[in-house]
Amino acid sequence: MSAASARRLLRIPAVPLAILIGVLLGALLILASGRNPLTAYSAILVGALAPENLPDTLNWAVPLVGMTLVAALPLRGGMVNLGGDGQLVVGALVAALVPLYLPAPGPVAAVAVILAAMLAAGAYASLAARGETRFGIPMLISSLLLSYPAVGIASYVVGFPLRDTTTGLAQTVMIPASVRLPAITGPLNIGLFLMAAVGAAVVFFDRRTVAGYELRMRGLNARFAGYGGVRLASQTVRIMFASGAIAGLVGAIIVLGSQYRYQDGALVTPGYTWSGLMAALLAGGEPLAAIGAGAFFAALQTGGFAMQRETAIPRVLTMVLQAIIILFLAIRHGVGRRSS
Amino acid sequence: MAAELEAIGIVKRYGGLLANDHIDLAVERGEVHAVMGENGAGKSTLMSILYGMQAPDEGSILLRGRQVRYRSALDAIAEGMGMVHQAFKLFNSLTVWENVVYGLEPQRGGFIDRAAAIAKVGALAERYHLQVDPAETVGRLSVGVRQRVEILKALYRDANILILDEPTAVLTPQERDGLFTVIRNLTADGRTVIFVTHKLHEVMAITDRVTVLRDGKVVAQMITGETSAREIIRAMTGRAVNLTVEKGEAKPGAPVLKVERLTVEGAGKALVDNASFVVRAGEIVGIAGVAGNGQTELIEALTGMRSPDEGHVEIVGHDVAGFDVEHHRAAGLAYIPEDRAATGTARQASAADNLAMGFQHTPAFARIGLLDYKAVAARARELIARFGIRVASEAAPVVSLSGGNLQKLVVARELAHQAPLLIAEQPTRGVDVGAIEFIHGLLIAERDKGRATLLVSAELSEIMALSDRILVMFEGRILAEIPGERADEETLGLIMAGRAKQAA
Amino acid sequence: MMDFITPSLVNSAVQAMTPILLATLAGVLCGRVGVFNMAMEGQLLVGAFAAVVGSYFLGSAFGGVAIAIGATVIFSLVLAYGATIFRGDSVVICIGMNLLASGLTAYLLRQMFGVSGTFSDPGVVGLDKIRIDAINATPWIGWIFSRQTAITWASWLLVAIVTVVMFRTPVGLRLRGVGEDASAAESMGVDVMRYRIVTVLVAGALTGLGGAQLSLGTVDIFSEDMSAGRGWIAVVAVMLGRNHPLWASLACVLFGVADSLSVRLQGQGLPNQLTDVVPYVVTLAALAISHRRPLKGAFVETITAHT
Repeated sequence: MSAASARRLLRIPAVPLAILIGVLLGALLILASGRNPLTAYSAILVGALAPENLPDTLNWAVPLVGMTLVAALPLRGGMVNLGGDGQLVVGALVAALVPLYLPAPGPVAAVAVILAAMLAAGAYASLAARGETRFGIPMLISSLLLSYPAVGIASYVVGFPLRDTTTGLAQTVMIPASVRLPAITGPLNIGLFLMAAVGAAVVFFDRRTVAGYELRMRGLNARFAGYGGVRLASQTVRIMFASGAIAGLVGAIIVLGSQYRYQDGALVTPGYTWSGLMAALLAGGEPLAAIGAGAFFAALQTGGFAMQRETAIPRVLTMVLQAIIILFLAIRHGVGRRSS
Repeated sequence: MAAELEAIGIVKRYGGLLANDHIDLAVERGEVHAVMGENGAGKSTLMSILYGMQAPDEGSILLRGRQVRYRSALDAIAEGMGMVHQAFKLFNSLTVWENVVYGLEPQRGGFIDRAAAIAKVGALAERYHLQVDPAETVGRLSVGVRQRVEILKALYRDANILILDEPTAVLTPQERDGLFTVIRNLTADGRTVIFVTHKLHEVMAITDRVTVLRDGKVVAQMITGETSAREIIRAMTGRAVNLTVEKGEAKPGAPVLKVERLTVEGAGKALVDNASFVVRAGEIVGIAGVAGNGQTELIEALTGMRSPDEGHVEIVGHDVAGFDVEHHRAAGLAYIPEDRAATGTARQASAADNLAMGFQHTPAFARIGLLDYKAVAARARELIARFGIRVASEAAPVVSLSGGNLQKLVVARELAHQAPLLIAEQPTRGVDVGAIEFIHGLLIAERDKGRATLLVSAELSEIMALSDRILVMFEGRILAEIPGERADEETLGLIMAGRAKQAA
Repeated sequence: MMDFITPSLVNSAVQAMTPILLATLAGVLCGRVGVFNMAMEGQLLVGAFAAVVGSYFLGSAFGGVAIAIGATVIFSLVLAYGATIFRGDSVVICIGMNLLASGLTAYLLRQMFGVSGTFSDPGVVGLDKIRIDAINATPWIGWIFSRQTAITWASWLLVAIVTVVMFRTPVGLRLRGVGEDASAAESMGVDVMRYRIVTVLVAGALTGLGGAQLSLGTVDIFSEDMSAGRGWIAVVAVMLGRNHPLWASLACVLFGVADSLSVRLQGQGLPNQLTDVVPYVVTLAALAISHRRPLKGAFVETITAHT
C-alpha cells in the first residue's frame, strides 16, 4: 500500500479500526474452521439487534454494563478493581438469603434487600481498599485475591448449609414471589431501569460533582490530587465502596429479577466481570464511553449465543473478538489506566 | 596544532526555535574550558550534540583535526568523549564497580570477573584521587561521591574530553573543591575538560578559557585570566549588571507560620533536626542550603504531605502538625511545589482544571457538592489574562505549555488562593529569564501586600535577592539566621557547608 | 502433626508447584527487566493447550512440550512488542492476553477436537515420571524427587540457572540495569528494547514449559481455564519475592505447602470449596505481613504507588 493510503488508514479513529481488525481476524479464525464468516457475523447482528431479540440483549446488557461501571468508576481515578466477581457474589448471596428471613411486604422488602446487597458488596470491596491504604498491598492484587475466597465460601454455603435440598443442584431456596422484580417483557425486568439510573448517576457524578472532579484529577496525577488537598486514602475507600456497591446491585438484580435464587456458579460463569473490565479499559474509565463499550460487548455476546444456535460456531468466538479489540487498542493507542 | 575539539557552524532547530545558531567552539588539549550562558541559551543542546546524543542540522565536529560523525552516544564514547550529566545516570541498587563497568564488563569464562573489575575500578579511583569504595552500593553514597562514580565511568572508557554539565549544582563547597582538584589532576594527565555552568565564581576559579552563549549564539570567547566577572555577566545577559531585585523595605507584621522543634526522621537519622523558626506577614524568609540537607523533608512536613515525628507547626494560629494537606490549606497555606510536572499539575488536564485544584470546595466553585464548571472556566480565563500565561484556551491541556508558562500557571493558582502563607520551592527552576523576572516581581509584590512567604531555593543568588531574612540549613538543622542586607555569598557558603555557625 | 506431612503430600506439592514455579521465574525475569507481566495465567493456559495438541498430533510427550514452548513464545510476542515498541499499558495488555488465551483455547478446543469443557483422549501422551531408586528410599529427599517429571527437575535447575545468570553474568547485570533505569542503561550502550523483548520471550518459553507440566505432567488432559488462578499466584510470588528468583521461589514453596494443606483438609472431610480458599487466604496474609509499612511518613507515596 502506498505511503499516502497508509496515512489515511491511520487517521481512522482508533475504536472503529480496532473493531475492524477484530472482525477481520475473527473472520480468519472462522474460515480456518471451514465455516463462513458472513453467516457467522450476520447471525451475531440479527441475534443481538433484531426486535424480537432485543429484550434478551438488554437483559444481558444490564449485568454487563453494571460490571463495566464497577470497573470504570475506580479506573477513572487510576485505580484497578479486579475483584468484581467476589463483590458480585457477595451481593447476590445477600439478595438470595435476606428475603427468606425478612418479614416485610413485597416492594419494601425488595428495596431493603437491594440496599443490603449493595452495602455488603461495597463493604467487601472496601476491604481491598484498606489493604492498600493500611498495608500497602496494591489494590490490583488484593482485590483479585479477595475475589476467590468470596466465590469459594459462597459456593460452600449454597452447596451445604443453606442448600435447597429439594432440588439436585447447589442453590438456595427460591425467594418469595413478592420480592421478585417485576418483568417488563420476556426475560427483561425493571432491573433495567435501576441500572439505567445508576449509569446516569455515575455520569452525573463524573461530570458535575466536586468528588467527580477530584477523582478525575487523581486518575491523571494522583500526587497532584494529594497536593491539592484531596484525601487520597479515604477517596480510595469511598470509591471502592461505591464500586462494590454497584456490583452488589448487579448481583441483586440477577437474583431478584432472573433467577430468584443463588445458583452456584451462575453469576461468575457468564464472565460479566471480565467483559465489563475490558469495556472500562477501552473507555479509559470515562463513564459514558464505558457504558457504550459495555453495551457493545453485550450485543456481541448475545449475538454470539444466537450464532452458536444457528451456525454451531462456538460463542466463545465473541470473547476472542473482544480480547483482540482491547489488545489492539492497548498496543496501538495507549488505552489503559490513564485516559489518553 | 589542531584543537582537541572543534565545533564549526553548529545549527540545531526545534520546530521554530533556533537552539544553536551557527556556533563555533574550539577547545585546546589539556585545558579547562567553560561554556556559560543562562537557562535557554543553548548550552544543553550544544553538549548533547558534542556527545552524540543528537545530530546537528548543520555544522561539523572535528577531533584533533579529524571530522567525526556520531550515530549515537556510543560512537562519541568510542571517540573518547565522556559526559557527566547533571542528573546522574546511575543504578542505585548496584555497587560502584557494577555501575562503572556496566556494558563493558571484564569477563572470565562467560561470567563477570568481579575481582578484575573491582581492581580496575579501584586503580582508576586511586590514580585520579577520586575517593570512592568500589564495593559500596551507589544508593548509599552522598551526591558528591556519586559524581565521582560518574567521572569514573568516563575514565573507565578512557575519555579524553570530559564534559561536566552543571557539576557543582549539588555539591557543598567542600565537595566542589574536591572536584576542582580532580579536574586539575585530569588536565595534568593530558585530558581536556569542558565545564558547563552559569556560576561565575567557579568559572573564575578553575577555567582557562570561557565561551559565552546567549540566545543560541556565541557572543564572547575569553581567556579567564584576562577578563572579569562583570564582563562575563554582560556577555551572558546582554545588559548592564543588575544583580539585585528592586525592592523596598519589608514591614513584617504578626507571625503567620510558627515552627517549633520540628523533627522528621528517616533512614535511621533525623532528616529535619529540631528546626524552629517564624515567618511573619509581609516578609520573605529564604532557606539557603545545598540540596539534600533536609529542605525537601521540611517542606513536606510543613505542607502536610508528610507527618513530622516531633514538633509543633502553627499556620495563622491553627495547629496543623500531623494533619493532612487539606487541613493545612484550610488553615491558610498555598504551596508552589518544586516539581511542577510531577506534583504541581496534571499534564493531560485542561488549564481550567489545573487552575481549579485546591479551590474545589470553596463557595465560589462548589454548591451542595456540585462543581460549577462555568465559574471554573471564567476564573481560569481571568488568571490566564492577568498572569500572561500563553495557552490556546482554558480548555487546552497543559501538556503543550512551556516550562515557564507552566510555572506561571502554578504560581497564578497558588497566589489566587490569597492564602496568608505561601511556601515557594524552587519557584524559577528551569524557567526562562523573562518568566524568572516576572515571578520574582510577583513574590515581592505579594510580600508588600502582607503575605508571609517561605522561600526554598538551590540558587543562592535568588535567595539573596528576594529574602528579608535568610535561614541556613545544614544536615537538617537551622544553623543560622541572617538578615538579608547583611548576607554575602562567602559567609553563607561556609555555613551551608557546616563550616561556621553564626550566633543567631 | 508429623503424620500430617506424608510422603505423598510432599510429592504432590512439589509436582503441583512446578507450573507456578516456572511462571514465577518468568515473572521475575520480566519484572527485573522492567516489564510488568501478569499474563502468566493466560500463558500457562496456552502452554497447557498447545502441549496437549502437540502430544496428540505428534504422538509424543516431547512433541507436546516443544509445541507448548513454541506456542507460548509466539503468544508472548503480544506483550514483548506491545509493552516495549508500542509502549502500551502492560496491565491492559496482560488482561487482554489472559482473556484471549481463555477464549482462544476454548474455541480451538471445540473446533479441533469437537468437545467442550475437557479433552481427554488416550492419544495424549503424558510425561514420564522419572524414577531413581537410589533416591526414592531416602526420607524427605526421596519424597520430593521421586516420580517427578523431567520438567519438575528442570524447573529447579532453572531456578539455579536464572539466579546465577542474573547475578553473575554480564547479561544479567545489564538486564538488571535495564529494569532499574532504562535511560541510564541506554546511555551506557545497552539496547533496552532488545533486552526487554528477548526477556519477555524467554519468560514465555518458561511459562510454556509450565503449561506443558500442567496438562501433560499429571492428568494428561486439557480442560477449559485449567490454569485456575495459578498464574495469579505466580504474580503474587514475584511480588513477595521482590523480583528475586530465590525469594520468589521460596514464596512458591509457601504456596505449594498451603495448597497441600488444603488438599489434606479435604482429606479430613472439609469440602473442596472451602479448602480451595486456603492458598488465597495464606497469600493475603503473607502480603499483609510483608508489606506492612510505617503508618507515618509520606502517605501520598503509598497511595500513588502502582504495581
